[in-house]
Amino acid sequence: MSDWTLQARVQAFLYEYAASLDEERFDDWVALFDPGNCTYEVLSRENRDLGLPAPIMGCYSYGMVCDRVAMLVKGVLTYRHNHLLRQVSNVRVRRAAPESKDDALLVQAGLVVHQSDEEGVSSLYMVGRYEMQLTDVGGKHLIRRMEVVVDSFGIDTMLAVPL
Amino acid sequence: MLKVPADESSTPWPRDDFSRVPYAVFTDEDIYRLENQRIFRGPVWNYLCHEIELPKAGDFVTTWVGETHVITARNNDGAVHAFENSCAHRGAKLTSAVRGNAKRLTCPYHLWTYSLEGDLRAVTFQHGVGGKGGMPAGFEKKDHGLNKLRVAIHGGLVFGTFSDDTPTLEEYLGPHSISQIDRLLVQRKPKVLGYLRQRIPGNWKLYNENVRDPYHGSLLHQFQVSFGLQQPTMRGGIKLDRDLKHTWNHSIVTEQDAASQKIVADAYAGTGKFNPDLKMADPALTRVPLDLGDNYKTTILSMFPTLILAQVDNTYAIRHLRPKGPDLVELHITYLGFESDTPQQTRDKLLTVNFIGPAGYISLEDGEALRLVQEGIRHRRPGGHEVLEMGGVGPIVDTDYLSQEISIRGFWSFYHQIMGLPAAGHPETRP
Repeated sequence: MSDWTLQARVQAFLYEYAASLDEERFDDWVALFDPGNCTYEVLSRENRDLGLPAPIMGCYSYGMVCDRVAMLVKGVLTYRHNHLLRQVSNVRVRRAAPESKDDALLVQAGLVVHQSDEEGVSSLYMVGRYEMQLTDVGGKHLIRRMEVVVDSFGIDTMLAVPL
Repeated sequence: MLKVPADESSTPWPRDDFSRVPYAVFTDEDIYRLENQRIFRGPVWNYLCHEIELPKAGDFVTTWVGETHVITARNNDGAVHAFENSCAHRGAKLTSAVRGNAKRLTCPYHLWTYSLEGDLRAVTFQHGVGGKGGMPAGFEKKDHGLNKLRVAIHGGLVFGTFSDDTPTLEEYLGPHSISQIDRLLVQRKPKVLGYLRQRIPGNWKLYNENVRDPYHGSLLHQFQVSFGLQQPTMRGGIKLDRDLKHTWNHSIVTEQDAASQKIVADAYAGTGKFNPDLKMADPALTRVPLDLGDNYKTTILSMFPTLILAQVDNTYAIRHLRPKGPDLVELHITYLGFESDTPQQTRDKLLTVNFIGPAGYISLEDGEALRLVQEGIRHRRPGGHEVLEMGGVGPIVDTDYLSQEISIRGFWSFYHQIMGLPAAGHPETRP
């Protein structure tokens, strides 16, 4: 696969990732993770810079990823239900081990999330970046590890829906 | 029997048991300014940081005391000092860093230099250049130090006060707070696992109400109820300090909790919120054992004005409120582990952090509750009062039950006194 084809595939993956969350197709979002082995974390840049390990949100198994959105779908959580638009940019892709047969990809991308309320008023909700490891499972890319590092770690009201 | 006035709407504090609180205290700019003067710069101990954040000489952290930006630093002798982050010369902020290490603090504007005790050490060109200019003869560096706070420490918690009238820290905290600080922060040496920050669009006192309100715990936070972490039928209660300003509320694991599920189901009938059949795909989060070994499930120590020391299940955190105007408060959380934790216990705490903070299955909802209250009271007819009668009216006392708002009335009783507001109670009913 050429580098440009790979770049295009990863960008399409990230756009589907963002759209599945924006459109609250949470089953589709979960399906982007490797059921056999995956982690998902939202990390504060402050903690990352200090070398402190606690995440803002941390899922350490596929089940935990499923639970995060199940609590939203099943109405367990009372949260501010804004419309969110995730904009993904500055996508960079490299192979984890170019010399070996391992198809794992390391992906970095910029993230901006806008929020809009029920009366049509929009504001900036979040600035951050994705740091992701994709793995090839049966010819399909899936998320092995996702770290969303947020610069907006002074979080506006709450973080209920994953980024 | 409490005497109730016929028309309460025109009286800010119509009842002397503080079962009515005027909504204006959450929105009024003048009240907010007065709070900065009478509370945060008044006779209270304000939380600054934990000593573990200042392990070495020269270490400093910045924080907020009300609207005042404060630097807390450890000097070369190991003593902790605190002072305002504003130069004595022209007022510039000395540092924009949240934390760091420095031998001295130098103002970027004219390079005036201060010691880690906040004393002015050097004024550039104090004696002029080539015999010309410089500061006048009577200028004394000792008269131009940074504005200092008095500092006192208990259980590693560093407090500061601007007032000479503040009682000793031990007297201010009282025995319940001291025993809980010792339980959570002294018997094991804490370490910082991370910081969490949540900017909640609500007044800082709404959060003080929230943490003194075990009534809402099992109603707003369905996750807790669904997975048996907290139930309204759990054994627990509240203890207040002598001045009613601090509250310790707690719930305890008992063998009856499983049997009480039926009572809970009946109480929630028709609300559409209770879902006893809810299952987690990976329940590891709800199975982390309590590692303190004393069966307390939740203990929330709320200390006036802005400090909360919280154990929620197996999470341990220092929560600090940083008001940003009447309509906004930053909730700053220092999330703790302990030096003695095994690698497994540390992994457990990196999992259970999912209970708390801005994305916490339990606490994210408090941000939403405060937003809803602040928006609700901003956009209703002027005047009006909160109704705080759950658990009983009249005397403000300790309870051995959780569905109560008595401890919120304790907060208001002290607030009303320290703010120097006119006497509570309606003229017609006052004895």
